[in-house]
Amino acid sequence: MNTLLTQNDTQRRDRMLTLGAAVIGLGLLFAFDSMFDRFTMQIFKLCAINVILALSLNLINGFTGLFSLGHAGFMAVGAYTCAILSMSPEQKEANFVLQPIMPVLLNVQMPFLPSLLIGGLLAGFIGWVLGVVTLRLRDDYLAIATLGFSEIIRVVLTNAQTITNGSLGLKGLPRFTTMWWAWGSAIVITLFLVLLIKSTYGRAFKSIRDNEIAAEAMGIDVLNMKVLSFTISSALAGIAGGLLAHYLTTIDPKQFIFLKTFDILLIVVLGGIGSITGSIVSAIVVTVLMEALRFLDGPLNLGFMVTNGIPGLRMVFFSALLMIVVIFRQQGLMGTAEFSWNSLARIGLLPKRGQKSGKGVE
Amino acid sequence: MKKRFSLLTLAAMMAAGISLVGCSGSGSTDKNVIKIGVFQPLTGANGAGGAAEYEGTKLANKLFPEVLGKKIQLVVVDNKSDKVEAANAATVLAQKEKVNAVIGSWGSSLSMSGGPIFAEAKIPAVAVSATNPNVTKGNEFYFRVCFLDPFQGTVGAAYAFNTLKAKKVAIIREVSNDYSVGLAKFFVDEFVKLSGNKNAIVATADYNTGDQDFSAQLTNLKQFEPDVIFAPGNYTESALIIKQARALGIKAQFIGGDTWDESSFLTVGGSAVEGAVFSTFFANDKPINKTSEAFLKAYREEFKKEPAAGSALGYDAYLVILDAIKRANSAEPQKIRDALAKTKGFEGSAGEITINAERNADKAAVFKTVKDGKFVFLTTVKP
Repeated sequence: MNTLLTQNDTQRRDRMLTLGAAVIGLGLLFAFDSMFDRFTMQIFKLCAINVILALSLNLINGFTGLFSLGHAGFMAVGAYTCAILSMSPEQKEANFVLQPIMPVLLNVQMPFLPSLLIGGLLAGFIGWVLGVVTLRLRDDYLAIATLGFSEIIRVVLTNAQTITNGSLGLKGLPRFTTMWWAWGSAIVITLFLVLLIKSTYGRAFKSIRDNEIAAEAMGIDVLNMKVLSFTISSALAGIAGGLLAHYLTTIDPKQFIFLKTFDILLIVVLGGIGSITGSIVSAIVVTVLMEALRFLDGPLNLGFMVTNGIPGLRMVFFSALLMIVVIFRQQGLMGTAEFSWNSLARIGLLPKRGQKSGKGVE
Repeated sequence: MKKRFSLLTLAAMMAAGISLVGCSGSGSTDKNVIKIGVFQPLTGANGAGGAAEYEGTKLANKLFPEVLGKKIQLVVVDNKSDKVEAANAATVLAQKEKVNAVIGSWGSSLSMSGGPIFAEAKIPAVAVSATNPNVTKGNEFYFRVCFLDPFQGTVGAAYAFNTLKAKKVAIIREVSNDYSVGLAKFFVDEFVKLSGNKNAIVATADYNTGDQDFSAQLTNLKQFEPDVIFAPGNYTESALIIKQARALGIKAQFIGGDTWDESSFLTVGGSAVEGAVFSTFFANDKPINKTSEAFLKAYREEFKKEPAAGSALGYDAYLVILDAIKRANSAEPQKIRDALAKTKGFEGSAGEITINAERNADKAAVFKTVKDGKFVFLTTVKP
């Protein structure tokens, strides 16, 4: 009887805290929106896009345990679809200087939301097709197959002159990605993933990651679950690609080379493979640090010596950080742990009222 | 314990990040300094190209450090050859450093990423060797000091018609390369216009990047007996084409584009490519004017090597901005922009620059030929 009460207490406390945090978070977003200058806002929006990318890569790499490196390709599909659907016919005509755009596409123009969703759906569909074919592979073979596939997408985009304007790229996209679009999408996608991971599907994904044979023995349709995870991950990458396109207002095939995937992989590995919290924190920290450390590239006064500006020094910082993490803390910042109010209570940042019966999601 | 550790690490990283953002925001706003942003990829895939252009700009800044009695400070940002990073770097220049003008970037796609940001901040930018027409198109604040790729097709046709007095021309295109296809298209348009003869182009042949054997296409071309063969494309394939054409007894003059300006063209082609003519940006064996002479001398002294075309253009971009500031008698970005738009007949190290209504440079192309196994300056050709 006593324990039941404390458990209720804990739940009520958690609910209040969550509600409070949501209100404060929303308030902060409003405050940031009016407070930040252009530059800070730019980075702040980029944080949200990187959060979505890291989460979607983590779903397939971290939660389902499939080492996929095709993310840049899916981003490209989402970005191009969203861009072509949302650009005005005049903008399209101005862009296609070498060869005119396909007449079917010329007069298509949609608002941002449907374009973004169609971009995500198309990326998801391509992910599904690819998944059905390649998810029979494992480990390194899967990584190579998906890596190759993302390069194929890029080459197709380069050569489909009448659809994508080829290597000339597209420019003058409307600047749709406001702070609310970027963070709104990031929050919705985070909530979706939290619910997904807690559902039977999420548990199936994790069981496949932990032991595929055992999962199959328990009656989980392994291939279908893998394909599902891969499809969702690709669709989310497509949405992030669409947001990125309208954030930059210009896209071209070269920006989606496979190195882009490794930028996201860096975030996921640093944050913790298999932790939503880790991916979010790491995406924000890496994005902010990438800009904040820009001074390292310029002339430095170290006290005992003055350097003349070494471009690329800030990348050395990330390389060193990655090495340290891989050597000393392979599970990354969070491992597979998630944020919960109980974990805060356990380390003494909150009163320990409901500690005995606490069953916070780890 | 582990959790505490990770939380502490997290807290430390956040704190570091926030404090660094705080302290890096202090760009000096000295009234007596004019800031010119250098927006280049200094690392990543395009690092070498960006570095070459930066060398030229740096040299120009060393030789001409002042204008209107104010010191010019170069603010260098690395855009990492990455489009997202380029947008960030451009925002740093436009919003934080508040530069008066921008030079760069190597790579058209990186320039296009910075374009809307400079336009919004009303800061003029001068692209050095970005050849994609979309860089300056529709952007009132983006200029360039190089010519567009297709322009080489136009001057190639002018050279073939005026200097070589060609009547019958054949085209060989590297069909999988938009550079080659673009050049060929502009060559054909211009040649037909100049000669007034719709049938002046007697034959067109296509090949793919990486092909080795061109005898089928060449045998077909031979029966039309062209005076000139225009074959823009990759240097290896082009050299092989010329070699095989000579072996088949084709005596026509070959003309190409700046991709031939590469030592491999000579090693692959050997004696067969003797006399081949191509257009390019810059010649370093013979100065074409006084600026060019001064640049070559200073560059060789400073860096102890031969300058690349990008370095010469990076040098020119700086001088063009300097000239615009002088003519505007102000370092206000909007006034620099208006003066830049009126640039006429400016003597740059890689040729005279006139900025046209589309904010592109109208300039003469340099023609080189192969003589005794070396590239030799031939002439400059105006459109």
